[in-house]
Amino acid sequence: MTSSDQRLVWAFLAPTLLLLGVFLYYPMIGTVIESFYDTSFISPEPRFVGWSVYEKVLSSRAFPEVVWNSIMWTLGVVLLQNLLGFFTAMLLNQGLPAQGMTRALVLLPFVLPGVVTAILWRFMYDPQLGLINSILIRLGVLQENAAWLASSDTAMAAVIFVAVWKGFPFSMLIYLAALQNVDKSQLEAATLDGAGPVRRLIDVTLPAIKDVILVNIVLTLILTFNYFDIVWVMTRGGPQNATHIFPTKIFETGFGQFRFGEAATYGVFSILVLAVLVAIYIIVQRSAAARRPVG
Amino acid sequence: MKQTLFAAVASLALLAGTAAQAEEVTLKFWDNQQTESGLSDVQQEAVDRFMAENPDIKVEVTTIPYPEYQQRLLTAVQGGNAPDIATLDQIWVAAFAEAGAVSDLTDKAKESGLERSQFFGGAWDSAVYKDALYGVPFNVDVWQFSFYNKDLLDGAGIDPQSLASWEGLKAASEKLTGDGKFGVGLFGHRGEDTVVVVNSFIFSNGGEVLDAAGKCALNQPPAVEAMTYLQDLAQYAPEGILNANSGNMRELFLNGSLAVEFWPALEQPTLQKSDINWGFVNGTAPEGKQAIGTYGGWNLAVFESSEHKDAAWKFIEFMVREDVNGDVVDLIPANKAAAEKFLAENREGPQQIIEHLSLAKPRPLSARYLEVAEIQMTLFQDVFAGKEVQEAANAACSEIDALN
Repeated sequence: MTSSDQRLVWAFLAPTLLLLGVFLYYPMIGTVIESFYDTSFISPEPRFVGWSVYEKVLSSRAFPEVVWNSIMWTLGVVLLQNLLGFFTAMLLNQGLPAQGMTRALVLLPFVLPGVVTAILWRFMYDPQLGLINSILIRLGVLQENAAWLASSDTAMAAVIFVAVWKGFPFSMLIYLAALQNVDKSQLEAATLDGAGPVRRLIDVTLPAIKDVILVNIVLTLILTFNYFDIVWVMTRGGPQNATHIFPTKIFETGFGQFRFGEAATYGVFSILVLAVLVAIYIIVQRSAAARRPVG
Repeated sequence: MKQTLFAAVASLALLAGTAAQAEEVTLKFWDNQQTESGLSDVQQEAVDRFMAENPDIKVEVTTIPYPEYQQRLLTAVQGGNAPDIATLDQIWVAAFAEAGAVSDLTDKAKESGLERSQFFGGAWDSAVYKDALYGVPFNVDVWQFSFYNKDLLDGAGIDPQSLASWEGLKAASEKLTGDGKFGVGLFGHRGEDTVVVVNSFIFSNGGEVLDAAGKCALNQPPAVEAMTYLQDLAQYAPEGILNANSGNMRELFLNGSLAVEFWPALEQPTLQKSDINWGFVNGTAPEGKQAIGTYGGWNLAVFESSEHKDAAWKFIEFMVREDVNGDVVDLIPANKAAAEKFLAENREGPQQIIEHLSLAKPRPLSARYLEVAEIQMTLFQDVFAGKEVQEAANAACSEIDALN
């Protein structure tokens, strides 16, 4: 590359870098700085307090709950969403009749806006008026109305269920694309050698799409950890913090109570987790690219 | 086009620093809407009237749905785009004043002859912070009235007046619960409506949230008794108390499966339109005590960043005038004279409402109110989830007293 080429490269990159800097890195670095200051709406003059906001947050009743909830939420959603997405993709890859229409229908939850999904499911879960209780009682599974979102025992499972319902078509789409790229001749060869469907899945299909699975899992980890609207609209983090995850806690602390310093501290923990996940994502993607046969 | 041109010329004149008499100022006024009452239409009529009386002032009204209002206003203030005038929830005034976001209106009110006696006292007090006036009461209401379903009560042979006492409400709730029906619409989600209802039970038992010295009083006997009573009463409420709000209870009340719901007088227009045969009593207190509700309502404030504070004040004076105030609110006008007329025209039992309004207590007028309220929400959820009340209240109080 000549030096004028290089200048050209930078010229083309400049607008993107500028946008990234202004809209991504500036706020992110700002958040880290803010977390060392005691700033709130009522005392807008930032006062440097060192680690004391961290000490306050770490010793609060809410922090361990938020961490635990975030782990449960993220792992629960990612695991179930990917499993369901994968098996749906397998099903839709069988060449069944009306496949095109089925694929479109399966995508529906994914295209619904999060807030709409949350309001819809709030109604479905309603203890007295909701569809779920009325069906379960009619089927004899339940004897009396259950308050899915109002009990600390079931609220997290209930919101995870909704997130999986909304998110699995996304994973399904990616898996479907990958499944369609699996070398047909290898599958045929395996069949000729007497391999059954399970064998073919384990020995041919899974190795062929291993990279896609990894990338998909890491990607949904990032998206899920950052999820906000479904949880906020359905439970506002309640009951008793049972569904408070990092994004809802940050929103409530910052915009509900105007405590920007503390919200920033939660934000920093959130950034750290995401940085690790993004790093894993990049490593996974690189190693996948390295293994891809050239040509 | 002409107007734009005029505005352009006017702003040029402003830039030049020539304060010409005829120059037109544009005021931005933000309000929120809590019901589907067509408030923005009637407000627009009043605003048109104001602009006719004051041809040199133009008012742009922005009406924002209640759930988004707090965040929109906060973001606007932080971003330096605050309106000239806005309605502030009573519980926000202290914080906005402490933050220096809104103007001290003490002198302007004195000059205009606006004083406490013309308004509901509790509403006026909610606009006072550190002895200065930061808002003018605009509208008020009180949490809560106990609205009851007459048919359900008659069917069970219950005297509606018995709902006014703790003992009576519990006995009635017990009798009315069963067969898919519920006695009492208690709710306990994380929200301000939960706080005001529980507060009113605490107030009615002689308790407080913060005492005169500003220390947490939620772990004192009157408050603990009230919360213990509610914890017990919760068994007669619809399942799912911890994620239920006043709106969910309204749905059940309107479909006839709930005997008693807790709402401010604001609920009346909804009930008037429904098929429910309803009535109401003023809150609930232990036998021999007076029910005391929790004040709610909004004050008009002028933002410190406004360049047209005099015009803004003129607009506020207009909005709280006796002949205007009743036309521009969906709660109850804060101007007492306007309120009497408004209630007589629009609400059942106007005298009963005025009595409850006059006795009501405000929530703590602290700049850190929102933090206190969050801690209260956690406490009330603990109570409704069955935790030992005294223990939970002690924990909440040590958190509240540790603020600052």
